[in-house]
Amino acid sequence: MNANLGNILRSVSAIKSKNSWVFSGLIIFTFLSIIMSITFGPANITGDDILQCVMYECMSPIHDMVIWQIRIPRVLVGLVAGMGLACAGAILQNVTRNPLADPYLFGIISGAGLGATIATFAFNDQQSLALPLAAFLGALFSVVIVFGIATLLRNMNHLLLTGVAVSFMLGSISHFILYLGDPFATNRVIFWLMGSLARVEMFHFYLIGAIVLITLLTIFALHRQIDALLLGDESAASLGVNIDKLRLILLALCAAVTATIVAYCGGIGFVGLMIPHIVRQLVGVTTMPLIIGSALVGGCFLVWVDVAARSAFSNVEIPIGIITSAIGSIFFLAIMYRTRKTG
Amino acid sequence: MAKLLSVASLSWSVDKQVIIKNISFDVNSGDIIGIIGPNGAGKTTLLKCLLNHYKNWQGTIKLKNKALSQYKPNELAQTFALVVQNSPPIFDLKVYDVVRMGLLPYKTLFARDSDTDKKNIISALEKVGLANSQAKFFNTLSGGEQQRVLIAKALVQKAKVLVLDEPTNHLDIYYQHQILQLVKALNITVIMTIHDLNLAAHYCNRLLLLDKGQLVSDNSVDKVLKPELLTKVFGLPCYRDDAQHCGVPRVYFYPASQTASNIPLANKPDNSANHEGELS
Repeated sequence: MNANLGNILRSVSAIKSKNSWVFSGLIIFTFLSIIMSITFGPANITGDDILQCVMYECMSPIHDMVIWQIRIPRVLVGLVAGMGLACAGAILQNVTRNPLADPYLFGIISGAGLGATIATFAFNDQQSLALPLAAFLGALFSVVIVFGIATLLRNMNHLLLTGVAVSFMLGSISHFILYLGDPFATNRVIFWLMGSLARVEMFHFYLIGAIVLITLLTIFALHRQIDALLLGDESAASLGVNIDKLRLILLALCAAVTATIVAYCGGIGFVGLMIPHIVRQLVGVTTMPLIIGSALVGGCFLVWVDVAARSAFSNVEIPIGIITSAIGSIFFLAIMYRTRKTG
Repeated sequence: MAKLLSVASLSWSVDKQVIIKNISFDVNSGDIIGIIGPNGAGKTTLLKCLLNHYKNWQGTIKLKNKALSQYKPNELAQTFALVVQNSPPIFDLKVYDVVRMGLLPYKTLFARDSDTDKKNIISALEKVGLANSQAKFFNTLSGGEQQRVLIAKALVQKAKVLVLDEPTNHLDIYYQHQILQLVKALNITVIMTIHDLNLAAHYCNRLLLLDKGQLVSDNSVDKVLKPELLTKVFGLPCYRDDAQHCGVPRVYFYPASQTASNIPLANKPDNSANHEGELS
């Protein structure tokens, strides 16, 4: 019996040690990604130049400017935005018990789009401040509506469908305004909706980073409660979880993270849908490994997608949201195909 | 036996429709109570009120002489463990992860699992005979094995009262007995809803018979499983056989459309009523 117990305990730690190898690998890869991705872009910068700049002093003022004011903020914002979107997706999928949940399917992007549209036409001179703020408020507004309607329907399973309906509603209002409006402003909104990290600054990294950190800490604190939801509401309630409160906290956090990212980076879809699915295959479905894994993989993913966005064509940059949506929509279908086969 | 739980004039209604009304009973520690009755009699509702999942019930429920409302959710979770499988998990949860959920009521925010926790999880899985399945996916187990995993979770939860909602649903006869034998062998207080009256007779020491939201009978198996009473509640002719070989009474129902005269057993109920006096 005791030998048996020993064997079993060993196999438990085998699972754990497999995960710690995966995490060590991911952490190393994340650091390598940050350094390496700085070398990609229109200006020719090598790894040595970066090392020189970070450790000592830059070789030339151009290097200094490109590395510190363009590349590093961009890579770091890409990293935290990827982390935030992937974690928000992982949590939403667990909370709604829907493997196809994604922060962007809750009407967040169309809410932000409406906010941005209104800001573009109403505050013509304060664009850099008004657009992110209006987008943020619009995103929160849409989440509140979606959650309110789902509460009214007394059915959290309808959260996603409500999100789709609200998306169309807010989208049609935006389109109406854009149709009547000035073509130049319309262009600006449409490009913003496609998503890009081209205009980010260090300040955005601090802001998004802070909110991602708060989200991660909250999830770490509540990881057992979130795990309990995986077996259904009734089971979670019998373990002492206040389901309504937990759901509200988590949805509010996801909304805040996504809205902040959307406000500064525009529409970057499907990261939150894809990454958690890949991570579950790697490290399992419980909250702690899932969230840490999603943060690392999501961060790296967006950093490299942004590298592709800025270096695929030499003369023009591709909006990052186009790439993530292209990959994501195929992935979405693949998940549905897989659930059809197994379920 | 010490009184663990006492329920007095418990009622619960939704949208002005009364689901259960005026139910009173006590639970002593060590009891194995079966809640029986037709569909819609309020069996599951009664369980949910006891677990405090439904909040707006009227009446009093006292746990160890203290009102249920005075307990914190995690204190209730340390007392009651619910074994129910309504919705299958959407992701590939491992057996170990499911049992590990039982630690929740004892853990503060941020807390990780200690080595003792891990040992407790494994030994709970050993008790239900599934120690070697801990790395398997919960979804791939059979219905009976899933129930046993959930019981292991309840053991990790160190609950004083095991609450089961239809534990034998969808199980074949072998697994029905296996689960209930396991539950009985745990030597803790059990409250369960159950449809199969003969299984209930085997494993419960007390039965609560509900009908249309009211408690019709609360007594020993022998006293509750009366053909007249069961016929009234279930609407079907009933025959009771005090089968000596299994030590507990067995009841049989037959279609209401058949008249008493063309059923071979038809005149038996009266006989058994006569026998009852002789037996006791």
